[in-house]
Amino acid sequence: MTTSLTDEYYAALSRGELVIQQCGECRNPIMYPKYVCPFCGSTELGWTSSTGTGTLHSFAVQRVGAPTGFEDDLPYAVGVVKLDEGVQLLARLRPNADGNWDDYHCDMRVQFDTAPDEGRHIAWFQAE
Amino acid sequence: MTLSSTDLGFNPMAGNPLEAAFVGIAEIPSGRYPNRPFIGSLVEVAVAAVRDAGMQISDIDTVLLIPCLHSPDDQADLIFSRVVEELGLHGRAKASAMLHSGGSTSDNITRTAAGLIASGQAKNVLVVQADKWGSAPVADMVDMLSGYGIPREWERPTGLTFNAVGALITQRYMAASGSTPEEMAAVCVALRQWARLNPNAMYKDKDLTVEQVLGSKMVCDPIHAMECPMLADGATAYVMTSTENARKTHDRWVRIAGSGGCVSHYSIGQENDLATLGWKRAGERAYEQAGWGPEDADIAEVYDSYAAVLTIGLEGLGLCKLHEGARLFAAGEFSPGGRLPVNTNGGLLSAGHTGVGGGTALVVEGIRQLLGRAEDARQVSDCRRAVLGGSGGTYMDSQVLLLERVDK
Repeated sequence: MTTSLTDEYYAALSRGELVIQQCGECRNPIMYPKYVCPFCGSTELGWTSSTGTGTLHSFAVQRVGAPTGFEDDLPYAVGVVKLDEGVQLLARLRPNADGNWDDYHCDMRVQFDTAPDEGRHIAWFQAE
Repeated sequence: MTLSSTDLGFNPMAGNPLEAAFVGIAEIPSGRYPNRPFIGSLVEVAVAAVRDAGMQISDIDTVLLIPCLHSPDDQADLIFSRVVEELGLHGRAKASAMLHSGGSTSDNITRTAAGLIASGQAKNVLVVQADKWGSAPVADMVDMLSGYGIPREWERPTGLTFNAVGALITQRYMAASGSTPEEMAAVCVALRQWARLNPNAMYKDKDLTVEQVLGSKMVCDPIHAMECPMLADGATAYVMTSTENARKTHDRWVRIAGSGGCVSHYSIGQENDLATLGWKRAGERAYEQAGWGPEDADIAEVYDSYAAVLTIGLEGLGLCKLHEGARLFAAGEFSPGGRLPVNTNGGLLSAGHTGVGGGTALVVEGIRQLLGRAEDARQVSDCRRAVLGGSGGTYMDSQVLLLERVDK
């Protein structure tokens, strides 16, 4: 599903970049992208590059019961990442060299992985 | 700026003859009943609740339906009016409608009904719910539970599921509180102890141990299979009227002493603190209205589709200390015979997750306990005050009802 909001965001992910929406009036960073600034109501919205660094608020490793289309991804991990810019998002987490997520823990530093996902418009993160 | 009664901290309906009163309840057993028809279940509990209220069907002027989740088709089918027709209320009922906020629907629909009664828009309101979640095709339900309530542009592409939502909350709660896997499992065990006393519970016949929970397969770290709510068929209903009407025919009813709520997010990735959610704010508003506090509660019935969802709710509502919820469950504090009976029907985790109805079953159980109508082994003695909590979607809102027994 694409909209005027997803076009820019998805295109950036495809280039290996993570972008954040930014209000042209109050300058606040916005995530997820919105049609109207949730801080001041402005519709003058632009985009800014994220440093891609932040902390892992929480994470989960899905082992069984994947939705249709995700069966071959199992196991996979999702995490809530709080970016240093002050906004947050749900991302996928890269497994470590052993193919698991055993060394992930809440509040650890993580960074955006610039290798784009081949098939999906999602942000990947890994240990910083 | 206009101040609402909630901001002013009082209950504007206290002592008002049009204050809402719960006077009837009904429930059929939760579990897997593939041959039990959906519409038939709605009608069965509707009739039972009206009879329980000492009314005739024709006394009902408003029907409020709690949505089903087993089939988008059934949900979109305007079945609230179907119920009116099935009950022979067509041509007589003033209004029928559905209200939806996921697992907190019962709290919001109760407030809506109370408002209709208080404003003279409705005399006798029937709230009714049925779901066939336990009999629905599992693959369809897995897809549904990774779709609805999850933002399609931003989070569905990650493969997020509702078990993962529960796991994200649990992971954060365990990190923040230092709760062990054994303590988290103990929450499920305590709920099973209550379910064993509830003839309507899905797991009324099966004991559960911490070892069994932790020995079950890992579904989504840190959640094991037996820490996931089992989808169930079920149906519940209740009837609300005005206090002045309740007084004519009843010696005892239940009133709403206070209510509060907080919508904390829509997307799980946008929740600022997964270990607290919106409960503190919701609870403060409700207690302020009621004029009593968590220490005055005789029971609590709080949404529990995962153990951490329940412990976070109890902590935010001040029913135990922050970060102590799971440990206190392990110590038996919330079990039958413990300090504070919690989820006395077995909760969603052991009575069965009947979709939106899991929250309705908790509301019905709260009313039942206050009316003194539970089975002897389960009835909490001299139960006067109940704290009810519901939460919808990805625990996007925290809704609180504080209920009180009234004796004429």
